[in-house]
Amino acid sequence: MIRFKARENVPRWLNYVVPLASVAVAIVVAGIVLAATSHNPFATYKNIVQASLTQPGAFSQTLVTMTPLMFTGLAAAVAFRMRLWNIGGEGQLYMGAVGASGAGLYFHSLPAPLLILVMMAAGVAAGTLWASIPGALRAFFNTNEILTTLMLNYVAANFMYYLIFDSNSYWRDLTSPSARVFPQGKSLPADASWPALQLGSVTIPFGLIIAIGLAVLLWGMIRATRYGFEMRVLADSPAVGKYAGIRTRRKILSLMAISGGIAGFAGASQVGDFSHTLDPRGLEQAGYGYIGIVVAALARYNPVAVVVTSFFIGMLVNAGFALQGPGFPIGLTGTMEGILLFCVLGAEIFTRYRLVFRRQQAISRTPVSPPSPAPAAVGPAAPPGEVS
Amino acid sequence: MTGFNANLGISIIMTAILYGTPLVFAGIGELLTERSGVLNLGVEGMLLIGAVMAFLVSQRMPGPGWLVLLAAVLVAMAASAVMASIHAFVTITLRANQIVSGLSLTIFAGVIGLSSYIAEDNRIGGKAGKHQFADLNVFGLKNLPVIGPILFHQSAMIYLSWLVVIGAVVYLYRTRTGLYLRSVGESPQAADAMGINVTRYRYAHTLLGGALAGAGGAVFTLQIATNWIDGLTAGAGWIAIALVIFSLWRPELLILGAYMFGAFTSVGFDLQARGITSIPSEFWSSLPYLMTVLALVLVSVGSVRRRLGTPAALGIPYMREES
Amino acid sequence: MMAGQPAVPTRGSPAPAGQATPAVAARGITKRFPGVVANDKVTFEVLPGEIHALLGENGAGKTTLCNVLTGLYRPDEGYVEMAGGPCRFRSPRDAHEAGIAMVHQHFRLVQPLTVAENVVLGWSRRRAMWFSPRRVEREVAAIAEKFGMHIDPAAKIWQLSVGEQQRVEILKALYRGAKILILDEPTTVLTPQEVQQLFTALRDMAADGTSVVFISHKLPEVLAVSDRVTVLQKGKTIGTVRTADADARSLAHMMVGRDIVLARREATPAARVGEVVLALDGVGAMGDLGAPALTGVSLQVRAGEILGVAGVAGNGQRELAEVIAGERPRTAGTVTIAGRPQRGTPWEAIGAGLGYVPEERLGVGIAPGMTIADNLMLKSYRENGHGPILHTKQAMATAAEAIERFDIVARGPKTIAHELSGGNIQRLLLARELSGHPKVLIAASPTRGLDVAATDSVRRLLAASAESGLGILLISEDLDEILDLSDRIAVMYRGQVVDVLGRDRADRDRIGLMMAGVAS
Repeated sequence: MIRFKARENVPRWLNYVVPLASVAVAIVVAGIVLAATSHNPFATYKNIVQASLTQPGAFSQTLVTMTPLMFTGLAAAVAFRMRLWNIGGEGQLYMGAVGASGAGLYFHSLPAPLLILVMMAAGVAAGTLWASIPGALRAFFNTNEILTTLMLNYVAANFMYYLIFDSNSYWRDLTSPSARVFPQGKSLPADASWPALQLGSVTIPFGLIIAIGLAVLLWGMIRATRYGFEMRVLADSPAVGKYAGIRTRRKILSLMAISGGIAGFAGASQVGDFSHTLDPRGLEQAGYGYIGIVVAALARYNPVAVVVTSFFIGMLVNAGFALQGPGFPIGLTGTMEGILLFCVLGAEIFTRYRLVFRRQQAISRTPVSPPSPAPAAVGPAAPPGEVS
Repeated sequence: MTGFNANLGISIIMTAILYGTPLVFAGIGELLTERSGVLNLGVEGMLLIGAVMAFLVSQRMPGPGWLVLLAAVLVAMAASAVMASIHAFVTITLRANQIVSGLSLTIFAGVIGLSSYIAEDNRIGGKAGKHQFADLNVFGLKNLPVIGPILFHQSAMIYLSWLVVIGAVVYLYRTRTGLYLRSVGESPQAADAMGINVTRYRYAHTLLGGALAGAGGAVFTLQIATNWIDGLTAGAGWIAIALVIFSLWRPELLILGAYMFGAFTSVGFDLQARGITSIPSEFWSSLPYLMTVLALVLVSVGSVRRRLGTPAALGIPYMREES
Repeated sequence: MMAGQPAVPTRGSPAPAGQATPAVAARGITKRFPGVVANDKVTFEVLPGEIHALLGENGAGKTTLCNVLTGLYRPDEGYVEMAGGPCRFRSPRDAHEAGIAMVHQHFRLVQPLTVAENVVLGWSRRRAMWFSPRRVEREVAAIAEKFGMHIDPAAKIWQLSVGEQQRVEILKALYRGAKILILDEPTTVLTPQEVQQLFTALRDMAADGTSVVFISHKLPEVLAVSDRVTVLQKGKTIGTVRTADADARSLAHMMVGRDIVLARREATPAARVGEVVLALDGVGAMGDLGAPALTGVSLQVRAGEILGVAGVAGNGQRELAEVIAGERPRTAGTVTIAGRPQRGTPWEAIGAGLGYVPEERLGVGIAPGMTIADNLMLKSYRENGHGPILHTKQAMATAAEAIERFDIVARGPKTIAHELSGGNIQRLLLARELSGHPKVLIAASPTRGLDVAATDSVRRLLAASAESGLGILLISEDLDEILDLSDRIAVMYRGQVVDVLGRDRADRDRIGLMMAGVAS
């Protein structure tokens, strides 16, 4: 029979080879799925690469898609690393968008750099606050954060919809002609548009640059600061954390806040970099918060790896937007993401365990149970010797 | 005036039951899965797979209506069980993190994934459904006042859901297997020490949960809607997961919660249609989620936790120590 | 480890061998684990209808032997014998079917289920699908009444007291027709009244023909309830006697007696003993199962001395360490570390200068998934580096130096902790705790599970630290260790300090008696 046995020592290279190998396996499996449903895998993969990288404007568009994914990926990674399952990135993103767009509209008279800073701050603050609710519930009542963060996603979505579709809120555009036909958000002033860096034909959104900086910062924080050290200890073993005198509650609260803030920034970036208005429909359909979890899981919660995985998933998502039809079936995005995740997840065990094949042991001829002595008058239980 | 209000009341109840039925199926399924100690967050994905497969069969299979519908439901159940088996394998045998695996399943099978893939590949989007579950007239009593429509004028799937709930209650509390299941979810160590195969129970109930979710999905495309839209379940899977906690892992409470949430889904729009707009529909839509958060806090407060029944071993992979 | 030869077995009148076939017997059972021989050719017989006590210190091999009897472990040599013939148990299920059941120290009960549901769980007539709570409750009540054990079959486990929970465990065995019941230290969690109730029930069972194996280290109880006693010491059978023919003194001698006196550490001269670095006054605390674990404990440790705490595990030592370290709340009394009164939090204790080498190393004292360097920083990281930034380079250098100094066998500072062997993990722990220049150190079971070389080096480290002025509270189940290293010895029994003896008054047999609950 086949059993898993713990490895005595874990070779370092295994930590890199296993994920990479699992990605390769995933690509093959996805190819098989495509072939089985009468699509040409090679053509499909070629289309993906073209639509996300090589065609004119494709690369820039991939960067656009990648930006929110990097933020939500980092938000998820930093929380998940400490076993805080914040799946509320989606809702925290929404609230960040609400905050940033509100600030952008309200402080419209401020000059551009200041206005942008205010938007960022508002986005982060909103996301932080939204995440602090489940964070506090977890820290003080030990309430499971998986569902509380998830539930609040829906509340946040409803709130967003309320602002634009069901009320005459500050965010809603009540005057322009198109708004009378269909509800939409007010357009932010021009100064509220975040700048972009132009490198040849490639446009790099401002948010992306910040995201990369944030990734490096987080990586450094985890590795080289006291806070990150405490985080790693708690993630490894809460009992050791207690023994070492680490204040667990504070960590939980602060980490959820940080995670929420980052996701809130994603929302701010969506508004400032791309949509320039509060667009509930668009945000909800994109589902960046949830995809961020995919990004984080594939990166095994390492902030620098998130940069890489967000790029590749960004490619996939972007291709999904750009292509439609026989070249790229709808639903391929999610299918491939799922296959990738399952392969990476499933392969993790091989870094710590290895397969052991053991032959079936020969059945012994000696009697297993003795001939039954006088049965005890003990209630209605089976008398000894009767095989149950 | 009274007749008008009674009609409104009955209408709300009927809608609540209709929209609540997929929640009942998926909820009971997830309840059983969680009772074995496995958390499966992929319910939304499994619902969609069930929905699309049911619709596909109903569109393509020739034959008498009842046979087609039966086949559709069975295929839906099987397909969702296969989805669940991926999660089961990855989390039980390969011991991966249950939360991430469940989310992966939702992404894999969900609105941007396999269910839409299958729909497009078979070109069933937007086409009108050929077979639907119609309301039956049990014992000919559908015209009784009040209870007539509620009890005797429902479709086969709704009656099936009632049987599932009763079955779940009997299973959990009156059968030996159900007792063993409860012990596996609470204390796999104790169960293992008593010779109960923890792994087998977890696999079986995760797959069962998937099958039930598939049935719930079938309700969407074979009764509630008349065609296929990508992602038509619109988050029902997440509500089902919330329901399991909200109902304190008890089937008899789950069906009540499902109907309540089903009512909330429609009451907002209902009231709006009747001109009552003071409370925005989004508030009603948010209410189930807020109430769930409240229930979660209550359930998690220390000593209360034990009494209210969170399976103690939920979400924790089980590994027997080598001797 | 300085090997001692076991004392010549005392010859009490031997059990009437050959007159009755044993209900179960161990014949030459040997069981080895990495680094230790838990059972060494152990031979042991239990007659039908007798209460047979299995006596010995921790590490004597009692629990291992019983795990072999119940099919949890397979013996490396020897076999289990039932009804005159050898048996091979492939799993606990086989032993269960043969009629052997064990009630462990840690109960395997499902808290939210009822008594009846727990009793019926698992092995039983499998074919019946329906479970009728009422019928099972009646059956359980009947068995309980038969043996005078009062229990409400419909009560949920979490509602029951510990004594009642134990009764449920016993009922589980009886329900399945167990003819041989093994109880592992059953009285540890019971009040005196519950102990009496248990004994009555056991006598009733024995009269009914059930054999009871009673694992214990408590002499008064062994003398009170058993018919015969088998004593184990360091994995070997010392002898079997009829309880009627034995007394406390002879049993204690069998448990701990040695012929050879071992090399000891030089006691710290009184002149070099410094001020009080740790003071406990009337400390009380609750245990995990709801019963008090510590009552009125008062101790003092001075700089430069080693105060050994002797006692069999489970008498409050773990809780004592946790209370001092701030990991367990006190219900009474005061704790003062280096003159600073403690409110009872870990960070306070660390700040006051407490070092703590916990009993559980990986998972409490050492983070298994982190590197050696990280683990060494675990208590000092707050001072290491500028503000929020840690100086990793410096940490690496410190780690490399510690590896050198404390002889830790590892590839380097970046090695992950759980890859180290037990001895090296312990050295790592000590390296960290001692490097922090604490004023007082708690060392709990510091050499448990270590091989000869590791044990020796740990002992030397402790001795050297005491010499340089550290006050050490040494908690150990190994009486040899306590006697070799300590300046003064406190004996704990049932959560209280029985007495504190100076080294000159510390006589092995006397301490053995105190450890086993017999006041001198």
